[in-house]
Amino acid sequence: MKRTDNAQSPTRSRKGRTALALAAIMASTLALGACGSGSTGASDSGEVVLELWDTDTRPERTENLKKLISMFEAKNPGIKVNYLGLPTDSYMQKISTAIATKATPDLVTPKASDVSALVAQGALAPLDQDFKDGGWEEKISPAMTKSSKAASPDGKLYLTPATSLADVIYYRSDFMKDAGLSAPASWDDFYTAADKLTDKGAGKFGYTLRGGNGFFSQFVQMVYPQSGVDTFFREDGTSTLDDPAVVAAAQKYVDLYGKDTAGSDLTADFKTMVAQFGAGGAAMLSHSIGSYPTHVAAIGADKIGAVAPFPADNGKTVLTGRMTTGFSMFQASPHKEAAWKFLEYTMSDEGNSFWAQKSGYLPGNLEVAKETWVTENPAMQASVKAVEDSKAVVLEQPFYLPEFNSITTTDMLPEWQRVLQGDLSVKDFLTQSAEKLTKAQQKHAKK
Amino acid sequence: MALIAQKQKPGRPPAATPRKRANRSRRLYPYLLIAPAAILTLVFLVYPVGSVFYYSLQHSNVTQPWDDGFAGFENFIAMGSDPLFWRSLSFTAQWVVVEVGLQFVFGLALALLINKSFIGRGLARSLVFSPWAVSGILTTTIWILIYNPSTGVGRYLADMGIGEYGVSLLAGSDTTFWALVLAEMWKGIPFFAILILADLQSVSLELYESADVDGAGTWRKFVSITWPHIRQAVVVATLLRAVWEFNNVDLLYTLTGGGPASSTTTLPLYVAQTAIHDRDFGYGSALTVVAFLILTFFSLVYLRITKSKEDDK
Repeated sequence: MKRTDNAQSPTRSRKGRTALALAAIMASTLALGACGSGSTGASDSGEVVLELWDTDTRPERTENLKKLISMFEAKNPGIKVNYLGLPTDSYMQKISTAIATKATPDLVTPKASDVSALVAQGALAPLDQDFKDGGWEEKISPAMTKSSKAASPDGKLYLTPATSLADVIYYRSDFMKDAGLSAPASWDDFYTAADKLTDKGAGKFGYTLRGGNGFFSQFVQMVYPQSGVDTFFREDGTSTLDDPAVVAAAQKYVDLYGKDTAGSDLTADFKTMVAQFGAGGAAMLSHSIGSYPTHVAAIGADKIGAVAPFPADNGKTVLTGRMTTGFSMFQASPHKEAAWKFLEYTMSDEGNSFWAQKSGYLPGNLEVAKETWVTENPAMQASVKAVEDSKAVVLEQPFYLPEFNSITTTDMLPEWQRVLQGDLSVKDFLTQSAEKLTKAQQKHAKK
Repeated sequence: MALIAQKQKPGRPPAATPRKRANRSRRLYPYLLIAPAAILTLVFLVYPVGSVFYYSLQHSNVTQPWDDGFAGFENFIAMGSDPLFWRSLSFTAQWVVVEVGLQFVFGLALALLINKSFIGRGLARSLVFSPWAVSGILTTTIWILIYNPSTGVGRYLADMGIGEYGVSLLAGSDTTFWALVLAEMWKGIPFFAILILADLQSVSLELYESADVDGAGTWRKFVSITWPHIRQAVVVATLLRAVWEFNNVDLLYTLTGGGPASSTTTLPLYVAQTAIHDRDFGYGSALTVVAFLILTFFSLVYLRITKSKEDDK
């Protein structure tokens, strides 16, 4: 027995060494794998490579953004921009992971409502100094710059005011004509049209109401302008959601559900609404000017009309959805100079004109805003005309509140659907939501 | 002794003999073999699970980092007054019981049916099993299209005068649950059928022939011959399916997102909303710990019950 053991020992020892070596190789491989990251930086030829993550991957937008990048690269031979499209419904997960693992790219296209969360994590670079030094304060719309700064918790500029959205009500001009109606010019006209254009037996509804994901932007667009209330918080920091005028307007809006809308609107999100509008199932739709190219692609420009929110009974025109849609730079970017050049290009005459026109956004560049294509787009024309009204007031949403997103989605969405189902009153819904927003605002004010 | 002490250098152990080295290698050898698997398990299983337990005792919200810090049991206490937690827990129980129960009944019936000899049995079996082979995302896409009010079945029924236009089964307070149950059953029934059929095929035909000779009826043969043979497969399938249905996120998230009005939010879906959407990892982790404990408890109870019944036999 002993002899056998002795005879096997050298063999086993060799096996042990082999196993040890294999384990070491595996461990080092795993370690190397763990160290890998997606960041690049400079190519072999010495050119700077920027990583750009886009949070809206509609095909037509992706195509336009890639074209914008190639235009920028042609003007800046030493800089290359790599495009990466993130899933529209889960881009923040990817960005949060990148922040946690310190693998952020150089550039990103956050929504104004995302800026607060990103700034809270120290992820975005403030752009105020570069913006001032580059003379952009004079070239870019002051209203858009103000709106962009208002979206951040510290009032600094993190999102270039390259372009902006604005809310409009789209309508099928062919349906209106067939029904002997003209474009609505008041809230009464709107409700009358919604009623007249509904033919349930034929599967046609006057309006499509957003009951599902993202409901809050449509809610604000349709309720606040009707109420004439032009701020989200009163001077004492309490939310205006429970204002009697807001409650009354919300009730009128809710009453549309089931009467002039499809029952399936209870869970309708943006895609569902657009599909319904495009298929002729709904005659009117509330959304931003940014979806105009999508509607044109589905129905054709000749069948679409757009109007901006109408004045309220108190005479005020409350403008909603004036949300900046720009680009941001990550704080950890090793190529801040090159990244800023790209940001500047998106605000320049050439870049801004191309990007705003193709995206259907209001241009931030004041010179571009004078171009003829702005007046050819009915949605944009309605938005520009609305601003010219001397009684127009822009309603700023409190995107600077870190809790704003979770309150208006996770908390409010289920309750909103209960309202539509008739299980919760509009007043109770708005009172309890107002309490949450007030609490968040007061917490913010204390900091 | 003194001589030995002089020969050994102070502070240095005596050099190991080749035999001792061989013994040590022999002792280490099995550990080296399992080391890669152990390391992978530690990195990808133990560490993440440990992290969840750790974060469940923390305030950790990436949108409000200034509030981060040790929370003790605050996250767990907060659950007590969180109506959505209780609602999601209640819906999860309802979902698991109904889904697993119906999948078992229909899966057993299907398995018994396709175990019989008939022309086209091979094709029938392929068709029965095919939903299980379809990927989760494709399954949900199919059902989204079926339930779509503009382009789905409802639209064609309305065209024929059955029902109304613009109605979605996924948006009705009375219909959403059963619409989801149907979609999930489509994928789950084949799983039961496959496992049960595998055991059914191992039952000797002689047993049934003997039972026939003894004058046993269909029910008696099922209770005395078939059931004891498939019992173990049913236990395994039920347990696995219950755990999977408890953790179901993909179908529910894609079809309803937990709505309308949170009426189809399961506990794991609530975890996803809290941790991933709201980025409140502290509370999300606490919810996960509770889900983990519930699953562990019921799995142990279930296994205990089935084991004791097995022992009784």
